[in-house]
Amino acid sequence: MTKLDFYQLENGLTLVGERMEYVQSASFHLLTPGGAAWLPNGCCGAAAVLADWLFRGAGSRNSRQLIDALDSLGIHHNTTVNADHLTLNAAMEAGNLAAAINLFADILLTPRLEPDQFELSRKLAIQELQGLDDDPRGKVMLMLYEQYYPDPYGRPGLGKEAELEALTAAQGAQIAAQLADPSRMIFSIAGRYDFDAVCRLVETRFGACGKRATTALEPTPKPRSYVHHPNEGAQVHIGLMTEIPPISAGAYYQTMAAVSVLSGSMSSRLFTEVREKRGLCYAVGAKYHTLKDYAGVSCYAGTTPDKAQQTLDVTWEQFQRLKDGVTEDELQRAKVGLKSSLIMQSESSVARSAGIAGDFFLLGRVRPLEEIRDAIEGLTTGSVGNFLQRHPFETFTAVTIGPKEIRV
Amino acid sequence: MEFKHRQLDNGLTIVGEINGDAQSAAVGFFVRTGSRDETPQISGVSHFLEHMLFKGTETLSPLEVNEAFDRLGAKFNAFTSEENTVYYAAVLPEYLEAVADLWAQLMRPTLRQDDFDMEKQVILEEIAMYLDMPDFLVFDRGRELFFEGHPCGNSVLGTVDSITGLTAEQMRAYFNKRYAPNNMTLACCGNFDFDRLCQLVQRQCGAWTRQETSRLTPPCCGAIQKVYEQKTGLNRRHLAMYSDSVSMQDDRWYAAKLLSVILGDHSGSRYFWSLVDPAIADTAFMELAAMDATGAFCSYVCCDPENAAQVEDILNTLFATVASNGIEPAELEAARNKVLSSVALKSEQPMGRLINLGFNWVYRQEYFAVEQDIARLRAVTLEDVHSVLKAFNPADYTLYSLGPSR
Repeated sequence: MTKLDFYQLENGLTLVGERMEYVQSASFHLLTPGGAAWLPNGCCGAAAVLADWLFRGAGSRNSRQLIDALDSLGIHHNTTVNADHLTLNAAMEAGNLAAAINLFADILLTPRLEPDQFELSRKLAIQELQGLDDDPRGKVMLMLYEQYYPDPYGRPGLGKEAELEALTAAQGAQIAAQLADPSRMIFSIAGRYDFDAVCRLVETRFGACGKRATTALEPTPKPRSYVHHPNEGAQVHIGLMTEIPPISAGAYYQTMAAVSVLSGSMSSRLFTEVREKRGLCYAVGAKYHTLKDYAGVSCYAGTTPDKAQQTLDVTWEQFQRLKDGVTEDELQRAKVGLKSSLIMQSESSVARSAGIAGDFFLLGRVRPLEEIRDAIEGLTTGSVGNFLQRHPFETFTAVTIGPKEIRV
Repeated sequence: MEFKHRQLDNGLTIVGEINGDAQSAAVGFFVRTGSRDETPQISGVSHFLEHMLFKGTETLSPLEVNEAFDRLGAKFNAFTSEENTVYYAAVLPEYLEAVADLWAQLMRPTLRQDDFDMEKQVILEEIAMYLDMPDFLVFDRGRELFFEGHPCGNSVLGTVDSITGLTAEQMRAYFNKRYAPNNMTLACCGNFDFDRLCQLVQRQCGAWTRQETSRLTPPCCGAIQKVYEQKTGLNRRHLAMYSDSVSMQDDRWYAAKLLSVILGDHSGSRYFWSLVDPAIADTAFMELAAMDATGAFCSYVCCDPENAAQVEDILNTLFATVASNGIEPAELEAARNKVLSSVALKSEQPMGRLINLGFNWVYRQEYFAVEQDIARLRAVTLEDVHSVLKAFNPADYTLYSLGPSR
């Protein structure tokens, strides 16, 4: 059985953990309420700036001393921004766990946030954003999410150039001060650890944090639409996204099975029809993308201009065909694939600490691996078919980047 | 962990690292062939052939191949480099033999003409995809410039012309020459039964015939040249730099690896503090690309076009300073700790171990357990790193720089 741990500090900060017997590492994710949707209007991209600025000195350490401290412990770390969170992740040899938690507590609670360093972080964020123009494949998906999700949930984590240009150190510092809100933070840990010791340490470092004021979001729906951005590249990069219920709606496993039949592997419908039978693309694939209250199935296909229209047509046809259900054989393959991913994920501390943090945020609890396995095994062509009949894919939002526009 | 190895009479080698506690197992065929083994007429054939192996055998159609992998819940793929073509899959332990059996069948493909024609379209799409990825393009072109005339400079993808002109007959001839059992290694990691795997491989592959295979390994010190080009539609300047380094067979590999981390890790390195921290470039890293009997340090920098000259000046100063003052003990320790924890994290999954296990055998006919890898990393001294620095001065580099047209 999965060994799950749970503890809540008095101030509301939640710790969730999953102990893993056969690893020597530990990994933690610290989810903070600095996601792109929650930033003040006019500050799009501030979280990307903070992701860098927070690491430019904290507590008694300046920028160089902080990076040296992380490096000397061999801590692998990265910071990501999605719609809801600015997330700090660290993975390390289990013996260095306490030192790592202390360093990350410094980063979040006592960052130096020096104005001259802010300028450098802001410059880097602008450069990264400009770099997206040289990565049409990455750019088309970010534009797609923005076009698809109700505002502000689609706001790009990388930001918008004009807002980044106008962002001040004072605004950045104000946003940074909101991050350590215990009522909206989640600390997840997986691998080899002593949960009591972790709880004591987190309590010592974060126990005094108080709740910050929050304004609820009022999302503005976006109409389904198509936008084309001309460029002189070799391919047309096609992104499309269509509606499906979010994970909290209770149909997660039916959705995963359907998306798996559509695009889970090389025998999936998209790969077979678009690439194998017609040679239209090298890269084509769809995935389930879920936030707490909104979700979609997003799809990417990249192809040369003359094949772009046919690629879209064949791709969308596969989405629409799903309303007729899935075959027994397809479902069996989807189930084995999903279970196999699940078990392989259970071997990696980084994958598990990300997984349990996501579960807790989206569902309010962590699903034991056994529960997920049983739910996958319980799927039938009837349950998946019923779900797809109730949620047929009828409209979509599309974005293309490339030398040729298509008809949608 | 237990290591076992066996060789069939026809030369096919099987290496296994058994871990009875693992939740999964991973298996891969490592074929010692890649773009460096191609002539200009068949440029790109190794990579195209890798795609064609998924197209099946006399008894398996392409769709049946894909379905067979998916029925096993396999996480599978393949890749082609300058000198290796690797086919791998990770599965739950109960499916390991079935997936190994499937790969063994696929290693004797039919190479049907109609599949060849269809897949050619996919390869041409892949070439077009990379044309829209300047970070990939600069590495490809930089390598070609650095290895000037040496087979390691050959393009893995080939060109639109070479792929368009390639025939199925040429591919079959190449296959017959290169996919000989004595030019292949089967590696397996995780929770599996080695003897049963060997029986299966003997049954499936025992009749394959040994061939005379060879590879040209002319000496290469690398050219030192700088080429600047422009491309319409780009926003940033992308720089790739190549300089001479150790080969895969060289015992100085560990010291060279640590030197590349000290100089060019994504964070906390010399590149980081002189280029990324001051926001002169948004990305800068160096990697060690050790190969068969040769090798290179390769670096990538992405910056504002107007910062490109400054980036070069900074790097030239950085290399000169390192050459004259050496590196600090603390830098070596930090790099060592970072690499050690990468090794530990990657080794948690059999799939993470597989490539290491396979390549150690392909290049050195040696097995290194994780503990031995760790011990060798721990044994590297400052003198070792300085001696690599002296033998392979990164200041002597080839640069390929691609930026927006004015």
